Amino acid sequence: MVSKFSRPLILRGFQWLLAAVVAFLILFPLWWIFISSITPAGELFSKPIRYWPLHPTLDSYKYLIDNVGLMKKIGSTAIIVGVSILVGMVISVMAAFSFARFKSRWLTLAAAFLLASMLIPDIVTARPLYDFLRYVNLYDTYSGLIVLYISGILPFTILILQNYLKDIPVSIEEAASIDGCGFFQSLYYVTLPLLRPALATVCIVNFITCLNNFFTPLFYSNGISVLSTAITQLPLRDNMYAVPWDLVSAMGWIIILPIIIFVAVFQKQIMEGIMAGGVKG
Amino acid sequence: MYLSRKYLTLAWVLVLPALLIRLFTTIYPILETFRVSFYDIKLLRGLHEFVGFRNYIDIFHDSKMLTSIEFTVIFVVGSMIGHLVLGIALALILNMKIRAQKVLRTIVLLPWAMPMVVIAMASKWAFNNDYGLINDFVRWFNPSFSMDWLIHTNTARYAVIAVDLWKDLPFFAILILAGLQFISSDMYEAAKIDGAGPIRSFFRITLPLLSKNIWVLSIFFTMWRITSFDVVYAMTSGGPGESTALIAYRITTEAFTNLNTGYAASIAVVLFIVMALLSGLSMKAAKRVDY
Repeated sequence: MVSKFSRPLILRGFQWLLAAVVAFLILFPLWWIFISSITPAGELFSKPIRYWPLHPTLDSYKYLIDNVGLMKKIGSTAIIVGVSILVGMVISVMAAFSFARFKSRWLTLAAAFLLASMLIPDIVTARPLYDFLRYVNLYDTYSGLIVLYISGILPFTILILQNYLKDIPVSIEEAASIDGCGFFQSLYYVTLPLLRPALATVCIVNFITCLNNFFTPLFYSNGISVLSTAITQLPLRDNMYAVPWDLVSAMGWIIILPIIIFVAVFQKQIMEGIMAGGVKG
Repeated sequence: MYLSRKYLTLAWVLVLPALLIRLFTTIYPILETFRVSFYDIKLLRGLHEFVGFRNYIDIFHDSKMLTSIEFTVIFVVGSMIGHLVLGIALALILNMKIRAQKVLRTIVLLPWAMPMVVIAMASKWAFNNDYGLINDFVRWFNPSFSMDWLIHTNTARYAVIAVDLWKDLPFFAILILAGLQFISSDMYEAAKIDGAGPIRSFFRITLPLLSKNIWVLSIFFTMWRITSFDVVYAMTSGGPGESTALIAYRITTEAFTNLNTGYAASIAVVLFIVMALLSGLSMKAAKRVDY
């Protein structure tokens, strides 16, 4: 009795099953990290793993705050990421505006150069860049790190903003100029507001890119510690294994939680940003 | 209105900061890498001498380097096959018309949004024989299972590839999904009327229409795999032995730990040239892919 509607029902059940498997494979490890972070360090050595802790505790977090300087690391991460995004955005808007509005052969070449420089991998430039930063006294400084973070987001940001600007008709700016707007006035009051959706998308994607930047702080800083590198430098506490899992899981969760909230809130913009530029996290 | 001379100066002033930053953080260092690759520099012994192509020749006599090349090839090929097969499957799953579609897409974005280091550090513990997540999971089905993944060459390599897939496959799938959404449903309707089942219309409509998209994506993902560094840095430190030391990891070890900067630069140059050739050739091939 395979009736008309039993087949779609089986199909739909199968679809839900697939969705559930995917969700499980992604969420379960995250759950495990969370559970580990609130399990007392000693109970982490239990077999099988308890996915619901008997004695939940915030001990690992407290240890991170008291002994590892978590707050300071969050602070320096926030400064570096915040300033990089802000300044990077200003520089990108300027460049993108110039590329989209002015025409000259050299300018086109400059735009092509910026795009092409995206293809140079970090690893190839690492050592000379390190020596250069030491030479100009920017190694292990906030300004040095911020410049490098900005450098990392520039090509993508300029590319997206430039494409978006090309779709905003110049005639609007011309009208403003006829009405007596100066160049910067018209850029600020007329163009920028129109650019807002693109700015939001780019900001959101850049936030994730900067937060996830590991290469830059690892090689170009030492004393200044951001969250992504700090997780590899946690001390071992009464643990004979090479991984201080109690602290790693807590630190991991501190990084993961804001990202989960962020992704859930900005899912739409992130999707747009990813699809527009094919960004690498 | 922006064509006058006066504005051209302004135009250059506006792009200057961006150009300068990129110049000093990418162009200058890469030229320096090329230059240094012809020198034998041992910072520890204060040595700095021109040796021509000797560093380049050394690469192919260095057993550590050969292991790195071997594993990088395995890693890139293995991971890309995974990306292609599972990525397309996942894109199809994300495209299913079910009520959980939006939630599912949000979940799938999560691995992309997280730093690889966090995942890799967690994986180091997850692959632990006694207390790790992976074996615990396997033991739900096979209680006597025991395997110390990161201690043996082959299993450590599988583990690294698996973690890379977990982290980046969802991103690949989302990008394929973008292409999938451009295929009009009329095509499938028409195919259905002509008597094609779902499997047939997948191979005759979906795949061909996506082929160019997939090809271009694969080029980028391959390039990213070739320069992968943080998985191995945080998860295995190149071990056991040197068996999971990707080329990028090898370069940083030579450049920052062994302070063998000339040699490190020559490896970097070879890596860069291989990447340039590979991406150039495959971009050319991409143009030939029909549809």
